[in-house]
Amino acid sequence: MDASLVWNLSDESLLVGLGSGDPDAAAAFVRRFQRRVFGLTFSILRDRGAAEDAAQEAFVRAWRHASAYDVRRGSVAAWLLTIARNVSINMLPARRFDPIDPQDVLALDSRRPRGDGIEVRVVDSELLREPLARLPDDQRRALVLAVFYGFTAREISDLDGVPLGTVKTRIRSAMVKLRSQLKVSDDR
Amino acid sequence: MTGEIGCDQVRDLAPELALGIAEGHERDAALRHLTGCAACRELVSEFSSVDGELLVLAAGKDPPRGFESRVLARLAEPSRDSRTEPLAPRRRWVVAVAAAAVVAAALGGGSVFWATADDRRLADSYQAVLSQGQGDFFLAAPLQGSDGRVGTVFAYQGDPSWAMVSIQPSFPEEGRFHVQVVTRDGRYLTLDDVNLGGADQAQGLQLPVDTSAVQELRFAESDGRAVLTATFDTANPWD
Repeated sequence: MDASLVWNLSDESLLVGLGSGDPDAAAAFVRRFQRRVFGLTFSILRDRGAAEDAAQEAFVRAWRHASAYDVRRGSVAAWLLTIARNVSINMLPARRFDPIDPQDVLALDSRRPRGDGIEVRVVDSELLREPLARLPDDQRRALVLAVFYGFTAREISDLDGVPLGTVKTRIRSAMVKLRSQLKVSDDR
Repeated sequence: MTGEIGCDQVRDLAPELALGIAEGHERDAALRHLTGCAACRELVSEFSSVDGELLVLAAGKDPPRGFESRVLARLAEPSRDSRTEPLAPRRRWVVAVAAAAVVAAALGGGSVFWATADDRRLADSYQAVLSQGQGDFFLAAPLQGSDGRVGTVFAYQGDPSWAMVSIQPSFPEEGRFHVQVVTRDGRYLTLDDVNLGGADQAQGLQLPVDTSAVQELRFAESDGRAVLTATFDTANPWD
């Protein structure tokens, strides 16, 4: 693959190149997503060394399992970050029961995230930015704890001292609102 | 919540299922329902899309200097290939089980092989089979019924990846089963039906995804209720 052309390829094409062992595609893929992947792993682990280990492992797994990516299931960014999230959660030594501010995790007040000069495809996620910012604080907190840290409703209930049923309702309400946003987009 | 649950309850639980945070018997009952309900599966899939796209909204952060080079160096490392790399001690269990699976399948029964082969012969056989098939590894998981273990599922990572289902002769529920793959990222993939039990003590299935992506194989009766499950605790024995 021509090294000068590879930087303009779509996320999907770069992933194919990564999976096939193309070094230029691999370099472009890592450069395009490294800031996003490290940002997520650091948000979860809050330790630069551990976050780098997790981010490296996420890229290695993406390379190893590139053929398993299914474009119908979501964007390459979502797929890669799901891997990074799962790796990070598995590296957490124990449940962290200190308060976590959703604003520390989410870039809700920014416009499109920076991708090291490369435009990253974030169309679907951008549709969620405003609805997520409009969620009631308690719903957004429950959602962030579940999505980014893998907390169960019961764990959130224990953490926040809120009845289990209330937490389940918060998560469900938040997810329903956000799903409807993506669904409206699909139906257009 | 015990026993079977319906669409209304599963729809309530769908967000937690999609986020992978549903728990215990509630989760088990919902997953049984999903085996036979395409509408609820679609709903969970839609919520899963929300989960993935939310992660994209995480705040970015510059990685430490040299991160890109270190990742690329890892990607450039020679692939961990059982054909060229000495076998580490922790791999031997996998080797033994996998080799036994291959030879047992070839013999159509395997009980004699299980009783007499030694580890070295098994390891040699395993390496030879992987070399012939360009495969990466084998996994094995117990096939569990309501009253305990009824057989074994062996899964092969290669191109294509496939699974071999071995049923114990005493398995009482002879019949045709719907087959479903539950992937580690929460997808539900339906395969062709298979006959199990009676004269059909072993069945091969081609997997539509890498073996490392398979969390569970489910075998359901006509009412959609999963009666046999094989859970793969390890995605890749070399990891």
